[in-house]
Amino acid sequence: MTATEFALRTDGVGKRYRKGWALRDCTLALPAGGVIALVGPNGAGKTTLLRLVVGLLAPSTGTVEVLGHDVTASTPQTLSRVGFLAQDHPLYKRFTVAEMLRFGRACNLRFDQGLAERRLAQLGIPLDRRAGTLSGGQQAQVALALALAKRPDLLVLDEPVASLDPLARHEFLQVLMGAVAEGGVTVLFSSHVVHELERVCDHLVVLNNGRVTLTGDIDTLLAEHRLLVGPRTANDLDGAVAVVEAVHSDRHTTLLVRDGAIPAAPGWQARPVALEDLVLAYLRRPSEPSAVVTSGVPA
Amino acid sequence: MTWLIWRQHAQVCVLGVLVGMFGIALLVLGTQAHDLFPGGPARCAGEAGINEACAASFRRLDEEYGYVENLLAGFYLVPVVIGAFLGAPLLARELEDGTWQLAWTQAVPRMRWLAAKLVALAGVTVTLTGMFTLVLTWFRQPFDAWEGRFQYDAFDLEGLVPVAYALFAFGIATAAGAILRRSLPAFGVAFGAFLATRMPVALLARPGYATPLTTMQPVPVGGAKDQAGHGTVPSFADWMIEHGYADATGQRLSWTEYDELEGAANQAGTNLNQFLHARGIQQFGVYHPADRFWTFQLIEAALFIAVAAVLIGVVVWRVRRRMI
Repeated sequence: MTATEFALRTDGVGKRYRKGWALRDCTLALPAGGVIALVGPNGAGKTTLLRLVVGLLAPSTGTVEVLGHDVTASTPQTLSRVGFLAQDHPLYKRFTVAEMLRFGRACNLRFDQGLAERRLAQLGIPLDRRAGTLSGGQQAQVALALALAKRPDLLVLDEPVASLDPLARHEFLQVLMGAVAEGGVTVLFSSHVVHELERVCDHLVVLNNGRVTLTGDIDTLLAEHRLLVGPRTANDLDGAVAVVEAVHSDRHTTLLVRDGAIPAAPGWQARPVALEDLVLAYLRRPSEPSAVVTSGVPA
Repeated sequence: MTWLIWRQHAQVCVLGVLVGMFGIALLVLGTQAHDLFPGGPARCAGEAGINEACAASFRRLDEEYGYVENLLAGFYLVPVVIGAFLGAPLLARELEDGTWQLAWTQAVPRMRWLAAKLVALAGVTVTLTGMFTLVLTWFRQPFDAWEGRFQYDAFDLEGLVPVAYALFAFGIATAAGAILRRSLPAFGVAFGAFLATRMPVALLARPGYATPLTTMQPVPVGGAKDQAGHGTVPSFADWMIEHGYADATGQRLSWTEYDELEGAANQAGTNLNQFLHARGIQQFGVYHPADRFWTFQLIEAALFIAVAAVLIGVVVWRVRRRMI
């Protein structure tokens, strides 16, 4: 793959604030095209990573490359290829919706005013209303319309639906996925909700305690992982690399394993794992992955 | 960018209108005050000792417009308010509303955004305070002719320093806004910093901008006890920093020593001046001559503008390093 086929490449990226490291050793290579979900609990470093991607922050260590360009050398050309929707979709509250569009037109090299107006008209958002008087869902839609009117190659969204009610959330995702379907744009969005990801995303990055704990194509990840259920075993398996997680009930042990570890002993059954369970298992793991050699499956 | 800055900072118009109204009021009052001096206040001040009409004019000026002069003494804070008002929200409002993330992810690079905002808002600060100071300086001409321009109600309101105060407040408010991320506290910090700086500067630093001159002359036999008046050296327009008495060798007398001499004169029953004159007592004055006004204005303006420049430099550095 050449560099430009990656929407985002980070190499050893870390970000330290005064209170400590928010992100460490983050190395990613995310393909262009499709939808990438960045998942992690609150405080995992998602916002920090996204701000590094759009150039709002500079990394303390490592490099961030977006669409083949170093992001800290932000020129009008590179800036105009990336759209960003910050958490809580900030707008100039005293601007009218029309003035927000004028802001977008004034501050961008390309800005599809007609596209933005059509989207807002479809949603019934009046152009003469002040942004601050719109509902949360409408504000999110205006912010999305602004970001999409840039016709970006990469659209980055920070917790886009976290503050929206279920109906507004549904409408927002519908508009977003409609834009993806029209083609050309890579979407990177963060979420602390794992639910529904499978339906919308192609690629997954799991972030926990400032470190990337899992990254990959979702179909591949699901194919690589298996749940193994067998009789209860007392061995401590949590440290084994191939064993992502071991859960013991009274009579059974359930193992989540990676890399096609096949049950070698009778009495063990393999099952596919749901994406949500997979993500949760990785989030429950200690943040520092141990380097213990694979111990295989208990006999 | 022009449209955006205009749209975001339209409240500047309110300041503009207020300054305009203030200017018109002062122009009306000032025209009346200037009309008291058909030959110009400066010439009249020189003749006040000999020309009774001029002396009467200055009395009327004091009676009829003295209250305006007193009122204006507090107006040295107006440029500070203007500067802080324009500087505080420059970054702080974007940071408190989260809109910095919107502004800096459009195609305008953040440094260009910052440069445009700084130039526009600092420019408005200079324009507004410059106009304000121009009208005020003109209004004060008759008062200055009589009282000199080194008094605190003249020096701090005229010439270059009000604009420098405004830029100082602008710089502090912008930097405080970048660090505190709140407009109102940033405004407060700028205002407080100016108040805390101004007194030490006016009282301690300003007299030291140049080496003061010293005059030494014998106590005149028949003269008034207080020699500071029109037509003398140092004159009313000079800035007297210190004055007192010295003995024949030029050794300065403490006020206790002077009181002893005064007591001795009373006991002896002689005229104080004759008594002092007979003992070779001299009067001294330490002062800055009136023509140092612009030098002092330049020095003080440079000090405040230098601080403003350093603070703006810190803001530019922080934004450039993407620390905010």
